[in-house]
Amino acid sequence: MDKGLLAYLYIPLFTAVVIPFLPKSKPKLADLFANATLLAGLANLAWLCLRPSVIASGFISVPGNGLSLLLVGLIYLVALCVTFFSANYLPEAMPNRGAYYSLLMVSVAAMCGIVTTSDFFTLYVFIEVLAVTSFALITVDETLGGVEGALKYFLLTFPASALIMAGISILLLTLGSLSYESLRTAMSSGLPAGPVTFGVALMMLGFLIKSGVAPFHTWTPDAYQGAYAPVSAHLGGIVTKISGVYAVLKTATLMNFFDGRAQGLSSGIMFLGMLSIAVGALAALRQKDFKRMLAFSSISQVGYIVLAAGLGTPLAVIGAIFHLFNHATFKTVLFLNSASVERSAGTTDMTKLGGLEHSMPWTSWTSVIALLSTAGVPPLSGFWSKLLIILALWESGFKTYAVLALLFSIVTLAYFMMMQKKVFFGKKPAEAGAAPEVSPQLLAPAVLMSAIIVAAGLLFPYFYSYVRMAAERIIL
Amino acid sequence: MNLILIPIILPLASALVLLIPAGRTRYLKETLAVLAAGVSMLAAASIFVTRPEPLSLAWLNDAITFTLRADSLSAFLLLAVSLFSLAISLYSFSYPWSFKGKGENCGAKWFYFNLLMTQAFAAGAVMADNMVAMLFFWEGLLVFLYTFIALSQNSHAARRTAMKAFLINAVTDLCLLAGVCITGYIAGTMSMSEISANKLTLDYGWSLFAYLLLLVGAVSKAGAFPFHTWIPDAATDSSAPFMAYVPAAIDKLLGIYFLARASIFLFTLNGSMQLLLMTLGAVTILVAVMMALVQSDYKRLLSYHAVSQTGYMILGIGTLNPIGIAGGLFHMINHATYKSCLFMTAGSVERQTGTSDLSKLGGLFSVMPVTGLCFIIAAAAISGIAPLNGFFSKELVYKGTLETGYTVFFFAAELGSFLTLASFLKLGHSVFFGKRPEALSETREAPISMLLPMLGLAAVCLAFGFGAQLPIEKFIAPALTTLGLQNFGELSGFHPDKLYFLSVIVILAAVINHMLGLAAGGGKANKASDHIHYAPVLKETYALAENRAFDLYEQVMDRVVPPFSNLLSRIDRGFDWLIDAMPSAVAGGSGRAISRFHTGSYPLYMALTIIGAVVYILLAGGLK
Repeated sequence: MDKGLLAYLYIPLFTAVVIPFLPKSKPKLADLFANATLLAGLANLAWLCLRPSVIASGFISVPGNGLSLLLVGLIYLVALCVTFFSANYLPEAMPNRGAYYSLLMVSVAAMCGIVTTSDFFTLYVFIEVLAVTSFALITVDETLGGVEGALKYFLLTFPASALIMAGISILLLTLGSLSYESLRTAMSSGLPAGPVTFGVALMMLGFLIKSGVAPFHTWTPDAYQGAYAPVSAHLGGIVTKISGVYAVLKTATLMNFFDGRAQGLSSGIMFLGMLSIAVGALAALRQKDFKRMLAFSSISQVGYIVLAAGLGTPLAVIGAIFHLFNHATFKTVLFLNSASVERSAGTTDMTKLGGLEHSMPWTSWTSVIALLSTAGVPPLSGFWSKLLIILALWESGFKTYAVLALLFSIVTLAYFMMMQKKVFFGKKPAEAGAAPEVSPQLLAPAVLMSAIIVAAGLLFPYFYSYVRMAAERIIL
Repeated sequence: MNLILIPIILPLASALVLLIPAGRTRYLKETLAVLAAGVSMLAAASIFVTRPEPLSLAWLNDAITFTLRADSLSAFLLLAVSLFSLAISLYSFSYPWSFKGKGENCGAKWFYFNLLMTQAFAAGAVMADNMVAMLFFWEGLLVFLYTFIALSQNSHAARRTAMKAFLINAVTDLCLLAGVCITGYIAGTMSMSEISANKLTLDYGWSLFAYLLLLVGAVSKAGAFPFHTWIPDAATDSSAPFMAYVPAAIDKLLGIYFLARASIFLFTLNGSMQLLLMTLGAVTILVAVMMALVQSDYKRLLSYHAVSQTGYMILGIGTLNPIGIAGGLFHMINHATYKSCLFMTAGSVERQTGTSDLSKLGGLFSVMPVTGLCFIIAAAAISGIAPLNGFFSKELVYKGTLETGYTVFFFAAELGSFLTLASFLKLGHSVFFGKRPEALSETREAPISMLLPMLGLAAVCLAFGFGAQLPIEKFIAPALTTLGLQNFGELSGFHPDKLYFLSVIVILAAVINHMLGLAAGGGKANKASDHIHYAPVLKETYALAENRAFDLYEQVMDRVVPPFSNLLSRIDRGFDWLIDAMPSAVAGGSGRAISRFHTGSYPLYMALTIIGAVVYILLAGGLK
């Protein structure tokens, strides 16, 4: 466990404990506490990593594990967007408002635990904590859809916990230790690693299920569609990425996929990644609901990260980390925008929407930025991460995967263009209401994230040097 | 500034300035254009007399030297271009423009703009020594040819004809472009004066090809068969001043100028090429004059003659002997003079009577005596009646033709003269003599601004006839020297020899033919050519020609272009299908299938997850 980062875990946990004791007569106090906690954490991190002197030195002076730091920052950023959005989005008279924020804080704490831990058992514990909080967060929306989504999430991902547990057991029996270091040592020792690989493969399967990779993706559309929109943003933007994708990536780096010791596992994971890209993108083409389309898009984008993680070369890992970051930014924008559309127009059914660009220009244009970044259009940040991933695939000789990845990013553009046309451009249907622009407080998170997308794209050299530093530290 | 630049820059700048005044101003634009043309004329005269140093500018990073050189031939051409610009701009002062845009006098605005632009580019084209620079000016003319026709009338026909003229000339200009490139490549330089120091021969394939391409560019500009077909259409679909300026004067000047440059100055031609050129000339003379004979529209009839007379010039140049070339060049300037004058008379008659249909005209000489007089002088000149200018230039062409020994071309040319005279007898008779129709009883003489340039050009016809020595000594002989010809003997002077008597016989034959035609046509002058029109064999040929069966452009447009574009369209559809319809069908189909699979059913989802997990574990367990 990276002790230096423990504060980022404890403080949200402390806030989560405090919130239920706040006076019920002042529900806004909970909003304030949650936002203040996250904002303070972000400011602290920014001081740690974004001082001019740190940037000038190429991020060499960043303490500890650079990847953990980046991901903690990302978690705080997305969570801040979600809480800020929720503060203005949730109904005023919501009875379990305090619980909602407590759950959010606990999930932030759990995610920080996941990214800072250095052994598999702690990882498992935090993943379980995260699963429980997510399950509860989905049910905050007490409609049938919310409950159904939560149940599906719970039932379809529970095999994951069992598989991780089994994998951990095998690992403990064969290695005698559960720390990341011992696995890395075992993998680079040159000894026959059959049972170890099998144990890791089982854990990996659990993580894959948690990250919603095809064919284990079936819970995602229902869960995302059923939950409150800010919760969807939280789940789709960061939670599944941390609980599943990060774990896959981390394990992949520990397995040293690129040196050929676990060739079969590596190619299996790459295949699942590619399958995810295809299934998600093709299914998204045919969706009629905005949020459901975003869920399928999420499956497809996770596929890119898993594909790169399965490849495991340094360039691929850099691309995967960068894409993880980018996915959190653009998917948050899109989910929050879908919430704004739902708030303003009353529905997310794309057949009933249209022509919102005139009444909701900010929402429309932040969507354009986010979707272009998703599809990998230069100079936005999504372009660079996809470029790195495709380059890494090409370099390592996986030319078919490289070409397919490229083709499916065209499909990505196609379905998002269709979404943009159906929701924001085109003609307004007769039955649609006025749909005015949402308040600036609701717009602020999307605008902030869009700014980050543009900035990360334009300042790619700085970003690249940071991510390379992070990748070097976790691979070597 | 070098004097050489004035005839180019001044009209160009004036044309742009001309666009500034509002369309409603009445005489401002006209005055400005006339002044610009007048000053350019003075500058051209000054260039002709003083022969300033060539102007050389490094162009395209020294790769090409932009050189303007006023040698005897170029200076002569420049003077002619300026003269016609001045005459036409004066003539057009009170022309009734049918083009109406925003503002009252838009037609005039665009006419003068195009006129000055054409003048500027024509001046550049004749003076350019570098072939690339010449191409630049040459292509500029193409642009303004299009706008000239398209903006002369507000009709679909005008735009269609403009496109026809543009496409025909664009294709042949491309040939010229290719020819220039190959010539420059073979010669190792783009400068015409440098090439002429070491003339190219037609001994091997590439240079023959290059010359043929240059030839196509030149004769098409001059409007020779088979590139002439836009000219008769333009006669009806554009204005008389345009016809008097571009097809009658500028195009002939430039086309024959470059033909002479290419055939004499750049290349040394051989016997077979001589035969080709002379055949082209003779065919052009006969085909066009046969068409001219049966026309029933004043301007259209003239336009066919504009094509036919080009044949004499090509024939003259094609003889490749100094007399013939002198005849060709002299005929070029003479033709521009009388044909411009004739189109001007057509314009005045149309302005005063409202029609150019021969069947509705007649007896105008008594009311329009000045126009009539100009017509008679110009018509006599074009028909080669001594002692007008046309007689002398044709005489030279005949002599040159006889000197080559190909008598058949001489007879063809004489036959052309006979038909020319016959058609002008018919035209003059139906417009200016005979009975005046009721509708024209109020007709009056054209305004002085139209009569003056007409009279001026008619005077030139007379002067170059009676005093043929002057233009030959001042213009033609120095030009021949410039082209590299020496010892060409005596070119001028009136000789009552066999040729003269033959021309008298031709005149008499034409008059007799006209009498016959009148008798056969029941005394109606406009039907005086019907006995030829409806003669056996000719009747069917004419019917085909009326249906544009011999119009290369129309045939290509009707027969070749549609299947070709159809084919391209099909190929394009194929690509469309490959990159658009097929992938979207595949993606859409699989997307639909995958979406249908997501029914939301627990058992299905659970089964999928478990099956996937089992397969994975089995595979992972098999990994060693």
